[in-house]
Amino acid sequence: MKAVEEELLEMKDTSELMLDLAYSSLLYHNQDIAEEVFNLEQKVNELQDSISTKILENNEDMDPDKSFILFKMADSIERFADAALDIADVVLRDIELHPVIKESLKDSDEFMVRKEILKGAFLDGKTLEESEMTTKIGMKVIAIRRGDNWSYGPDKEVKLKAGDIIFARGPRESEEQLNKWTRVNL
Amino acid sequence: MKNREKKKELEEDHAEISYEDTSVRELLTLMKDNSELIADLAYASMVFENEELADEVRHLESQMDKMMYQIRLKSMLGARTINAAEQLSGLLQVASAAEQISDAAEDMVKLLDAQVDLKPILPHLLKKADEKVFTLNVEEGSDLVGKTLGELRLESVTGVRVIAIRHKKKWFYGPDGETKLKGKDLLIVRAHEEGYEKLWPVAHKQKRWKELVG
Repeated sequence: MKAVEEELLEMKDTSELMLDLAYSSLLYHNQDIAEEVFNLEQKVNELQDSISTKILENNEDMDPDKSFILFKMADSIERFADAALDIADVVLRDIELHPVIKESLKDSDEFMVRKEILKGAFLDGKTLEESEMTTKIGMKVIAIRRGDNWSYGPDKEVKLKAGDIIFARGPRESEEQLNKWTRVNL
Repeated sequence: MKNREKKKELEEDHAEISYEDTSVRELLTLMKDNSELIADLAYASMVFENEELADEVRHLESQMDKMMYQIRLKSMLGARTINAAEQLSGLLQVASAAEQISDAAEDMVKLLDAQVDLKPILPHLLKKADEKVFTLNVEEGSDLVGKTLGELRLESVTGVRVIAIRHKKKWFYGPDGETKLKGKDLLIVRAHEEGYEKLWPVAHKQKRWKELVG
């Protein structure tokens, strides 16, 4: 039964990534990121189906309390993911975004940033783990664009390179530090 | 008859907020911030099986309903052309997504009322998530005491985000930069393991804050 719990965790982490990506796609009016939110929604649905199927198949061996809890959690998480999809949907529709949306996002506690890594910058050649971006400045990289390739929710082994465009979320005060790390300091 | 009563109830419910002079921009920001806080609080209330945190989830959810109503009203007043209406419908869709999140969070905390034992399953499970919720005691005399979250730049130095604080018997939810930490505060935080481990010794007087900043 371990698999069900792992799937639920994956649903949770994915739904959170989706929300970050959705807000980022709004802020930068970025269709690629918005489309990824759609792809991830599919993944979340598949996970939920798989969880439901497994619970039903193992109905007799499983503690009913546990089945109930897992069902309910999966349901709420799926609704978080749906909300992210609704946000991304605004970007994918062919209408201009209301300017207030962008202003509101910029006022938010959680800040979204987009930075290009310049050659020779501190982050050039570092993996996400080595960069200590999450533990030193509280920034979480949610997507990396390298030319036409995107990597969403990159794991910590991913190495950053000059020319990469990183999308991150974190506290407002860290933006300045991220500027220093992406540029070349003389 | 019943409908009319219900309608009246709703009107009374909304009366207090109908004329508040909050801009659409402020409302949307607040709704987004609240939707993130409410999801964190919902998970935290599951992990710690804490009714007070769950109550705050319910409270925030009802606030979100009111804000949704208000942002709808204001948007309608602002739509004078078809172009403006299209743009505002997009904006309302974002607001409504934030409200859906709070609904789902409120639904999640209903698990606390169900006659089921969460302990063997959820806390254990959620502790394996990418970002987790933890409690942190601020010891009297530690470097955190007497400082505001803004002065410390807590999140940018450690990646640890405070979602609730219990001071004596009172709870404060969604603290901001001006929130001051006091001795014996209990913090509910959201963090990666590494960030939490960095902060823990400071809160427990085993390390100075400036060692983290330097």
